[in-house]
Amino acid sequence: MTRLNRLGARLTRGGALFSAAALLAVLVVYFIEQPLALSGFGIASLVNASLALVLVSMGQTCVLFAGGLDLSAGAIVSLVCCLASTMMGDSTGSILLTVLACLAAGTLAGAVNGLLIAYGRLEPLISTFCTLFIYGGLALTLRPQPGGHIADSFANALTGNLGVLPYGVLLLALMLLLVWLPVFRSRLGRFILAVGDSSDSAFASGLPVRPVRLATYALSGLFAAVAALFLAAETTSGDASIGNIYTLNSLAAAVLGGVALTGGRGSVAGAICGATVLSLILNLLSVLGVPAFWQDLIEGSLLLLVLSAAGIGRLRIDDWSRLLGRGRA
Amino acid sequence: MSDAVPLPELPASPARQPLSARLQPVFPWLILLVVFAFSVAINPAFLTWSTIRLQLVQAALIGIAAIGETLAILIGHIDLSIPWTVTLTAILSANAFAAHQAGWVPFAVVLGVGTCVGLLNAAGIYWLRVHSLIWTLSVNLILQGITLVYTNASAAAAGVPPIARTLALGQWFGLPVAGLVWAACGACAIFALRATPFGRRVYAVGNNELAALLSGVPTARIYVGVYVASGLGAALLGLMASGYASQAYLGMGDGYLLPPVAAVVIGGTRLSGGRGGYVGTISGSLSVILLQAMLVSLNVSEGLRQIVFGAILLALVFLFARQR
Repeated sequence: MTRLNRLGARLTRGGALFSAAALLAVLVVYFIEQPLALSGFGIASLVNASLALVLVSMGQTCVLFAGGLDLSAGAIVSLVCCLASTMMGDSTGSILLTVLACLAAGTLAGAVNGLLIAYGRLEPLISTFCTLFIYGGLALTLRPQPGGHIADSFANALTGNLGVLPYGVLLLALMLLLVWLPVFRSRLGRFILAVGDSSDSAFASGLPVRPVRLATYALSGLFAAVAALFLAAETTSGDASIGNIYTLNSLAAAVLGGVALTGGRGSVAGAICGATVLSLILNLLSVLGVPAFWQDLIEGSLLLLVLSAAGIGRLRIDDWSRLLGRGRA
Repeated sequence: MSDAVPLPELPASPARQPLSARLQPVFPWLILLVVFAFSVAINPAFLTWSTIRLQLVQAALIGIAAIGETLAILIGHIDLSIPWTVTLTAILSANAFAAHQAGWVPFAVVLGVGTCVGLLNAAGIYWLRVHSLIWTLSVNLILQGITLVYTNASAAAAGVPPIARTLALGQWFGLPVAGLVWAACGACAIFALRATPFGRRVYAVGNNELAALLSGVPTARIYVGVYVASGLGAALLGLMASGYASQAYLGMGDGYLLPPVAAVVIGGTRLSGGRGGYVGTISGSLSVILLQAMLVSLNVSEGLRQIVFGAILLALVFLFARQR
């Protein structure tokens, strides 16, 4: 193994560790630049800035684990956000109803992806590319202009903080405890990873490959819906283009966190760290006073860098047959 | 080494192929016929020469970008970096021409931008093995960033070069120049795919990249060729689109993300690569433009237009491009 190869391998396989280190570095720079960020308010605003991407990336990670790809995650975020801003009234009953409807809508949108891919035998890439436009179009039909109404009590309940502990962290912990751990500590979780590692072997061993695939996309939809509810609370409005950036960024965050695009490998801790690093860097740019129009360039360069780092390990692999066999997601 | 060995010709046995496979080359033209019939039924103005000529010019714009998209999809990949290649070329060529009033300047910009974008795409997709969809989307984002930084996020000041207007709006013996440019580029693409080693190798890579590599196909050169061709097509589209709109503005390429892909898919080229060709894409481009014009004439909202577009693409993928 050459040094370059080892470096690449470490960057990808030890992705969780790598992104955790990067997270620490970014946080240090942040606190030097903005000492106020250490206050309860500062920490809450940091969490609020990154939570949506963290949640979408967790959903994306589910799908990546099974060897799939969800390009419609961003559009589901937009759709659910617009739905929430259209349905929500001020009474507690109405808020609860809206939240339930939004979670159901997101899961349904994800399940439709899953049905098309697992049972319709479509390529994940192209079918989620199509549903991206369908969900985006639905969001735009619900809300042609940004606006709508989000109840104050709902917004405060999600974006406030309890001492130094922001409610956003509680929401993340809730999603981990109620959704992620039950799924990935059960047989379903092992099936997901097995399908992602080799769907042929999984099928040959009698695993229910299709329902497992369907489940991962439904989970991705659910996570996107929770992210959308949080974004709606944060912006107190609905916007049909709010989710656009999350498709590409959630993929980049997962890759940054060491989740393999080819399936079966990675960790949720890595994905969470990767998403936090990515959104903190973007946040840091505005704190440092970088003009807004530089941000696309820096964000794009960052994405290319992350994707290249994941690819460097493959650059020197001698066994091309293995590379080509697994190169196609 | 095996470059000189002719590919073995498979015995033609049309009787053994299922009917649907034999009829496949006809499907895109059937779709075009149906879409055209629908649009005429909705609005008889679609039968007049002036409307047809307008549609032809717009289809030419899509069709030129779809050449590279067809190639990229034939090798089993995709190119989503077209939108901001278009915008960057349009703005850069307008500004460069304002600085140096020479006829070759816009073409130099097209060549430069197209080649650079193509090489960057090929580098990430071939050597780093990043999935083409993610890589080209990221390249698109970088190009957006470069354009915004270059223009300070304000619209381009200079007017477009006259050659851009000629290419997009000019007429030559009553025929639109854009259509002629499309015909010339399309003929080159069809010739390259059907009658040159490059074309054979594109299909070989798309069918089975490993087999192609092991039988001596220079896959790296094929990737570079395909993506540079795609970049050049998108850059040429940028020049023509600026002429068509008589101005170069930020975000002018945003409408060119989906239509070229849709044109290729409607044209019967398999998204998994290796099967299809540019002839189908020609009818696909015409169908896409007619469909758009039809939805516009129905006064459909932007959101509904996206839904219809996504649904039609999904239906076509479902019919033609299922796995296994």
